[in-house]
Amino acid sequence: MENLALSVKNINKYFHDPETFQVLKEVSFEVKKGEFLALVGKSGSGKSTLLYVLSTMDTDFTGSLIINGTNLEGKTQNELAAFRNEHIGFVFQFHYLLPEFSAIDNVMLPAMKLGKKSHEEIRGDAMQNLILLDLKEQAEKPASKLSGGQQQRVAIARALINQPAIIMGDEPTGNLDSKNAKGVFNIFKQLCKEKGQTIIAVTHDDDFAANCDRIIEMRDGILFS
Amino acid sequence: MVTKTNLKVAIAHLTSRKRQAVVAVLSVTFGVGLFIFMKSFVGGINAQQADLVFASSAHIRIFNEANSQVPNIIPNTETQVVNVRNAKAIQYTEGIKNAEKVIADLQHNPHILSVTAQVNLPATFKNGSAKTGGVLSGVDVVNEDLMFGMKKFIQNGSWEELDISNNHIVIGRGMAEKLNLTVGSMIAVTSADNVSKNFKIVGIVYSGTTAVDDNKGFIKKTAALQLSKKNQNYATDIQINIRDFEQAMEIALPMKQEVAYKVESWQESNQQLVTANNLRNMISTVVPLVLIIVAGFGIYNIMTMTVNEKIKEIAILKALGFGGKDVIQIFLTQAVLIGIVGAVTGIGLGYLISTIMSKLPISLGTANHLIILFEPKTYMLATGIGLIITIIAGYLPARKAAGVDPVQIIRG
Ligand SMILES: Nc1ncnc2c1ncn2[C@@H]1O[C@H](COP(=O)(O)OP(=O)(O)OP(=O)(O)O)[C@@H](O)[C@H]1O
Ligand SMILES: [Mg+2]
Repeated sequence: MENLALSVKNINKYFHDPETFQVLKEVSFEVKKGEFLALVGKSGSGKSTLLYVLSTMDTDFTGSLIINGTNLEGKTQNELAAFRNEHIGFVFQFHYLLPEFSAIDNVMLPAMKLGKKSHEEIRGDAMQNLILLDLKEQAEKPASKLSGGQQQRVAIARALINQPAIIMGDEPTGNLDSKNAKGVFNIFKQLCKEKGQTIIAVTHDDDFAANCDRIIEMRDGILFS
Repeated sequence: MVTKTNLKVAIAHLTSRKRQAVVAVLSVTFGVGLFIFMKSFVGGINAQQADLVFASSAHIRIFNEANSQVPNIIPNTETQVVNVRNAKAIQYTEGIKNAEKVIADLQHNPHILSVTAQVNLPATFKNGSAKTGGVLSGVDVVNEDLMFGMKKFIQNGSWEELDISNNHIVIGRGMAEKLNLTVGSMIAVTSADNVSKNFKIVGIVYSGTTAVDDNKGFIKKTAALQLSKKNQNYATDIQINIRDFEQAMEIALPMKQEVAYKVESWQESNQQLVTANNLRNMISTVVPLVLIIVAGFGIYNIMTMTVNEKIKEIAILKALGFGGKDVIQIFLTQAVLIGIVGAVTGIGLGYLISTIMSKLPISLGTANHLIILFEPKTYMLATGIGLIITIIAGYLPARKAAGVDPVQIIRG
């Protein structure tokens, strides 16, 4: 129990629009701390949907969700928001940045919200993350003026800023060339090894998946591990 | 308080929609500015009207009601016998017989600022063959000035000289013109029961009210008592000024029980004026208020558009762990910023229009320019209303934004 980063049991989720269908069926699995997990599956199989449930953003499901030993059942929206701010880093399938903010300001946002460090410290951390992702030159550019791949890397830098226990990525390297994809993969790998952070990444990239610690697969809402 | 990050997001939202932000600010500016100007303008008019009233009558007047009743000489029924008497003949035979006691009793009232007794007599003023009817007002020279500011109305001659002799008189400008008299001339005054006396004019008064300017002659009270053969204790009117003239009605009310004579507040004797003032007050409040509320709808509209446009960003913020409170703060901050900038510029605008209008050479009564008040409370009220409306207008879209489901937006 102690070394579990995530534990889900019997998760069921339905969509009712346009017609009721079950998108997640009795999904149960566990992830250890420091594990690098690949979530694969055909398009439309329910990977993103599962990730939103795991990220605490989607609360419209049944079943139990325990992250880092915290049972998230029955928590209010505001409590969940505070929880994911501190413990979960998320990279969306489509990179979502605040367009008016510079790259570095985007990266700083979750840490500013957490408010555990001074502005200067946070800025320093953010700069380090940007350097790590080869974005030093782009730090002060507004997000709207970055290329798709650059935006995705800024989003990754942002997901790492609070050193979350779990980093979830929905095709985090989907928009990157193979060199940058490799770079991001290596960063993730390093975070798992050295900092004991847990990573769950949805991917369509077989190479990416093959190099992870473990692969789980979605098929029509059912999880095969 | 707003967190630095939320403030930054709010400012980013505002500056990314500069034109709408400017329009929103301007609508508050005009609303607040107009509110201030109209209130100050109408306040000025009302104050000037009150000044005119108080140039010849006090806040509260005590008199014997029989004096003021115009006898009805048309019989109500065919059988009714009507006793026709000369109304003027009885007017000053009534009055207040124990004026000094009444005044002494009033001294204990903490609301009262000053009290003076007058002996007002209907009289005919003559210069040779020219004559005019009017009121001869026997006054306490010093007190009368204290209460009505007579000195500042004196156009020629002096008010103080009245006190020197029982033969001195100060008359209104209109009367002086009509009878072709100036300072230094003699005037013959005949009372209602045909007692005549000559007075020397020592001053001409111009107050801006015809009741004074065309009708009145002022003499010492002792002279008037002599003329009407009354004792020291007699007066026709006791005039009372209080600290806050707006409260005259409330203060007069208990006095009506205590005093044996008719007690009348200025509002009761100037009901038309009070009605007109109230009407002006109402218009000067309602019109700009409507404008501010319209500005509020504008802000509501702009904020709703901002929320719709920024809904993705809100979803991101929520995904990153920003709570509903943060989102409300972000949008409310925008509304408050619009409100503050609008209110401050509105204060400037209101002050500017008021200043310009108060300098325009438009003559009204004794003033040669518009009287416009510059009262801090008007400015504060306008600012308060402007801010409250913008906050309400901003809160509704902000609440909507706070309820955004990030998954729904991010999934697309
Ligand atoms: N809001 C929604 N309402 C109804 N059905 C939905 C909604 N969102 C997703 N679905 C459906 O749920 C299923 C799973 O969608 P999901 O986005 O999880 O797939 P995915 O595995 O992430 O696919 P991809 O690899 O293309 O991103 C799909 O059939 C999709 O059409
Ligand atoms: Mg997906």
